[in-house]
Amino acid sequence: MSSEHGLQRIYSSRSGQLGWLMRRITGVGLLFFVGLHFWIQHMPNGFLATAEEYNEIIKGFEKITPEFADAIAKGKIREALPGEHVITYDKVLERLHTPLWKTVDITLLLFALLHGMLGMANVLGDYIQNASLRKVAVIFCWAVILFLATQGIVTVMTVGTN
Amino acid sequence: MLPVSRFSYHIYRLGMQENIERSGPSRDNPSFRTFLSMISSYRIRAGMAAWLLHRLTGLSLVFYLVIHIMGLRSLGDPAAFELYITTFRNPLFKIAEVMLLGAIAFHAFNGVRILIQDIFFRSERQRILFYAVLALSSIVTLAGGLLIIFPYFIAPFLP
Repeated sequence: MSSEHGLQRIYSSRSGQLGWLMRRITGVGLLFFVGLHFWIQHMPNGFLATAEEYNEIIKGFEKITPEFADAIAKGKIREALPGEHVITYDKVLERLHTPLWKTVDITLLLFALLHGMLGMANVLGDYIQNASLRKVAVIFCWAVILFLATQGIVTVMTVGTN
Repeated sequence: MLPVSRFSYHIYRLGMQENIERSGPSRDNPSFRTFLSMISSYRIRAGMAAWLLHRLTGLSLVFYLVIHIMGLRSLGDPAAFELYITTFRNPLFKIAEVMLLGAIAFHAFNGVRILIQDIFFRSERQRILFYAVLALSSIVTLAGGLLIIFPYFIAPFLP
């Protein structure tokens, strides 16, 4: 009965330790991936447009489609403040053009989803007393993982294709 | 189950016992007021604060993650994406961005603290480690936060 012994038993899905192990592995991975993600998307650096670049991009928009011109006229697309760095479609497209960045972003997506939703299953399990309801909560969390993973992977893989 | 030393288990039980004794009379007379007095009678220790903050930041981050992934579907259309980004360039969202960084920083550093404790099991060091977590996440949040809010709240007031 090898399944009753050792790692297989400790990390079976029934004991909840499989979720713990996955959260720990993805947690260590996320230290790197979320750190990198926050650095390139929220801190001022070359992955974002500078204020001058962004305002130049906006001027180009007005000529592209009436949709853009309308949004700018209504203030729904605003000029950058002096010194502001802005995430913009062109920069994201440029970065996601390389397979390495696609891989990094999809890994980040899957790690974050697994870590977050398995954590959510753990939290829900703390407050749900009924065993079958707890099972429903775990299935719900996995459904959210699958749904959002699909949404995210489609976004990353299809960006710039239309 | 993870290995839990007998010593730390007794420390835990003693703490629980103390909390129950300190909250004594309120248990016989349940009302919102006695509930509040029971809550305030709890001595919030470093470990409990760490657990609570880890859970609250974790739940907030999951909530944010769902909105984030669904929002990024706008990358399918350049105009929609620029509209989406402009929404989050609102000054209020810039403050929310700093709070997001704070939640991430605390959750990450506290996660490392839990990892360190599981590996070395130095429970007597946990309070010092927790204060280190608070200090590190404050530094990261302040430094990153200043960069985020600078064009919005600081640069306009500079001569």
